[in-house]
Amino acid sequence: MRLWRAVVALAVVLWPLGAVAQGTISDLPRKETLIVENPEGTIKNAGWFNIWAINAGSQSNGLQQLGMDTFWYIDPQKGVDGVWDNSLAAEKPIYNADFTEMTVKLRKGIFWSDGVEFTADDVLYTIQTHMKTNGLRWSAPVQINVAEVSAPDPQTVVFKLKKPNSRFHALFTVRWNAMWMMPKHVFEKVPDITKFDNNPPVTLGAYTLKSFDPNGKWYIWQKRDDWKRTTVARFGEPGPKYVAYIDPGPPDKRVIAQMNHELDIIHDTSPEGMFKLAKDSPSSHGWFKGFPYAHPDPTLPAVLLNAENPMFQNRDVRWALALLIDIKAVSLASYRGAATISAIAIPPTGAGPEYYHEPLEAWLKAFELDTGKQKIKPYDPTIGKQIADMLRPSLKDQIPTDAADIAKAFGRGWWKPNPQAATELLQRAGYTKKGDKWYMPDGKPFTIHVTVEGDLRPVMTRAGSMVAQQWRQFGIDASTVVAQGSMFDRRQAGDYEAMISWSVETWGGHPDLAYFLDSWHSQFVAPPGKPQPARNWQRWSNPELDKIIEDTRKIGFDDPKGVELGRDYVKLMVREMPIIPLMSYNVFTVMDETYWTGYPNAATAPYTDPVPNWGNTKYMMVKLKPKQ
Amino acid sequence: MTGYPLYLLTRLGQFALVIFIGINIAFVVTHATPIDPVEQSIAASTQFGSINPEAVEMMRQSLKELYGLQGGLWDQYVTFWRRIAAGDFGPSLSAFPTPVSILIGRALPWTVALLVISTLLTWVLGNLLGGLAGYYRRNRALRFAGILAMAFHPIPYYIVAFLLLIVFGYLWPILPISGGYTMNMEQDWSAEFILSLLRHGLLPVASLALVGLGGWFMGMRSLVSNVVTEDYVAYAELAGVERSRILRSYVMRNALVPQVTGLAISLGSIFNGAIITEQVFGYPGVGTLLISAVHAGDYSLVLGITTVSIIAVSFAVLLIDLAYPLLDPRVKAR
Repeated sequence: MRLWRAVVALAVVLWPLGAVAQGTISDLPRKETLIVENPEGTIKNAGWFNIWAINAGSQSNGLQQLGMDTFWYIDPQKGVDGVWDNSLAAEKPIYNADFTEMTVKLRKGIFWSDGVEFTADDVLYTIQTHMKTNGLRWSAPVQINVAEVSAPDPQTVVFKLKKPNSRFHALFTVRWNAMWMMPKHVFEKVPDITKFDNNPPVTLGAYTLKSFDPNGKWYIWQKRDDWKRTTVARFGEPGPKYVAYIDPGPPDKRVIAQMNHELDIIHDTSPEGMFKLAKDSPSSHGWFKGFPYAHPDPTLPAVLLNAENPMFQNRDVRWALALLIDIKAVSLASYRGAATISAIAIPPTGAGPEYYHEPLEAWLKAFELDTGKQKIKPYDPTIGKQIADMLRPSLKDQIPTDAADIAKAFGRGWWKPNPQAATELLQRAGYTKKGDKWYMPDGKPFTIHVTVEGDLRPVMTRAGSMVAQQWRQFGIDASTVVAQGSMFDRRQAGDYEAMISWSVETWGGHPDLAYFLDSWHSQFVAPPGKPQPARNWQRWSNPELDKIIEDTRKIGFDDPKGVELGRDYVKLMVREMPIIPLMSYNVFTVMDETYWTGYPNAATAPYTDPVPNWGNTKYMMVKLKPKQ
Repeated sequence: MTGYPLYLLTRLGQFALVIFIGINIAFVVTHATPIDPVEQSIAASTQFGSINPEAVEMMRQSLKELYGLQGGLWDQYVTFWRRIAAGDFGPSLSAFPTPVSILIGRALPWTVALLVISTLLTWVLGNLLGGLAGYYRRNRALRFAGILAMAFHPIPYYIVAFLLLIVFGYLWPILPISGGYTMNMEQDWSAEFILSLLRHGLLPVASLALVGLGGWFMGMRSLVSNVVTEDYVAYAELAGVERSRILRSYVMRNALVPQVTGLAISLGSIFNGAIITEQVFGYPGVGTLLISAVHAGDYSLVLGITTVSIIAVSFAVLLIDLAYPLLDPRVKAR
């Protein structure tokens, strides 16, 4: 009995530890605080805020979203006031005729958080520091491009470039991040800026750092009293007085935290987590009101085929592999149906559908593939609708019925599985089938290893497993290889045969493709064994592609000819199939309206990407209002 | 030289050798990783923003220079031992230029506090209850405790941890499920901060205790069950020695020797961190740091953590070896 008494006494002692109400945040009103997931997780070097040093600390802990600023932003969606925003710049970049000089006019009346005015001197300092210091985040692109920088007056900066570059402004244009401006009056006093932690940071954004956990679990930012002297003030006052960026842990815990209303924005969770919140948390919503909920990022997961591997150098083989994929099964396996598919090598999001998917639909329908024995029209424009129809019995009115809404949510068409055509293409390429196995022209078994990232990216891993399974069912000896943690190394080294990854990333809101396409020029393709610079991971080169890239370099960013060249790129990619596009990178960002309203959404407020680690998140702050 | 001094010298030599071999193996394994910290940094810097391909090679060379990775493996090996001799692990490659020792120093107190408390709590409770259960074999409450301990013991740790998380974080949300203390709170050892530490530590400690208790309980019960059959216990009972005294002085003390060994090894191992506990409960500590370092290919940090761990475990074993001849006369120093 004494033992039982001890147990009861222990319970009585411990009970208050749990019962004592103690809020999520100490000394801050929850109703004035927005709590956001930092997808970087726990930050090991928590007290480091020098964002110009490469990977020394966190970037998306609020630092780049709330504290930094630069000349321009391009929104991945529609934008608060159009896709393009002149942030620190007063107008768009001004180039000379041959793109060897870029002039930037700066906005007046913008101040650092310590009261010092932002001027051209800060820009000069930022550029000149990167010109003379190796190893900073933007040292290399500045040193390669800039011959000289000058400031004829406090609101004008002139860059003289070493060679023509019609997209030089991209270095200062935010798509997730860009080259941020440095406070000259802080950094000029530092002897070695590569070893300076910049704690606490002097900011240009509308927030300053209030407190942070030395163990990197959370950061809290506070709205500046002088927020009117920052660039977002043009759109109104930021709603939250405090913004906390936290590491809520694995997907299951993010769901629990939001159901307890202790996490206002989940950056990303599993499809299953999203479905649970949609079902049981009435105050939670995603980008789409109903299925598939997720925001399609302007990134295109695809089956990358290593062009330096002889196995994939024949176009017929690449096309045969595409025709063996049932994208509906891939969508179900990866995103549980919540994928936005794309047959073309453009992410089906932002400006993509308007400039590329819709105008090229007729061309895709008419596109013919000659297998040597027959001509087929491989494009099936109804596949997006088929996925919607397939899901409707279980998800009922969550699945849209309008064709335009279906296209936006699930994508348009894709390649219809056609094993017969695949057989004919492989046979024309010299491949043979003996029994139920395929063999290459040299007599060796046709073996493909599909590299996937494992538990670090389960959705893409499931997509890779499904693709490998479909190829295997056809008689190809396909299997997956898990490169957990070493995916980037293997991708850069070209140490893979096929891989589920992405080499196409666009601005989202703007149709210009140079953002990723310029790096696909054959001049940058590394020989086997050498590391490949971003982003042509498939190491594919083609004279026609080079011509498209060279023509794009000669025209301005907003030149309508850029879209025509972009469509030529799409057609070339369809004909050659160097990568097999699958879908956009859908991010299950979930927003809880218990404390805040005004989040972006696809139907009524597509003013920005809801994914809160993007620098563009600063625009979300001015739209958020406390729930009454 | 004979007797204890020779024994001491031999054990010290073994201690040094184990550490040397262990650290060398750790060096080889970490440097054999396919993950290159320079490529990880480049990938992290270029995967989102606009990047000129020509700039990437320049960035690669700059980072190799900055991280001090330009020499061959032998140069790095010599530098590593030079640093170890000076008590320095060098800068972290994934949090450059912050020294590895600072990162470990920041995480270690959390891990040590969590694991020392949970290990001692589990050891004391497990042995106490196990000892009582072994001696008072007919007591119903103790038999029930035995059933509970055996029921929890085989359940995989992460299941128990998630169960606690779901019960106390979701179904009956009375305890925090993430972090070491409340956000925005000063670490000032005030009553409020200590209460917050206790609330945040309760679930991680409880999960470790629930799973760990069974092992100590069953071990001790079995040891006591053997000891009670010894002649000297029977004689003591026949001589009318008080039962509580028999339990305390005759039974428990003799049965505890192997359990003390186990405790010392468990305490030495705490420097490995409690990776699953830290992941599930979002608790700060060395485990999370280690996982993050492995993913980033930060072999400086991985080596730092493994070196601390190797030294700690070896030191714990050394202490046991040195203490044994003093504690138990049956173990003789040659």
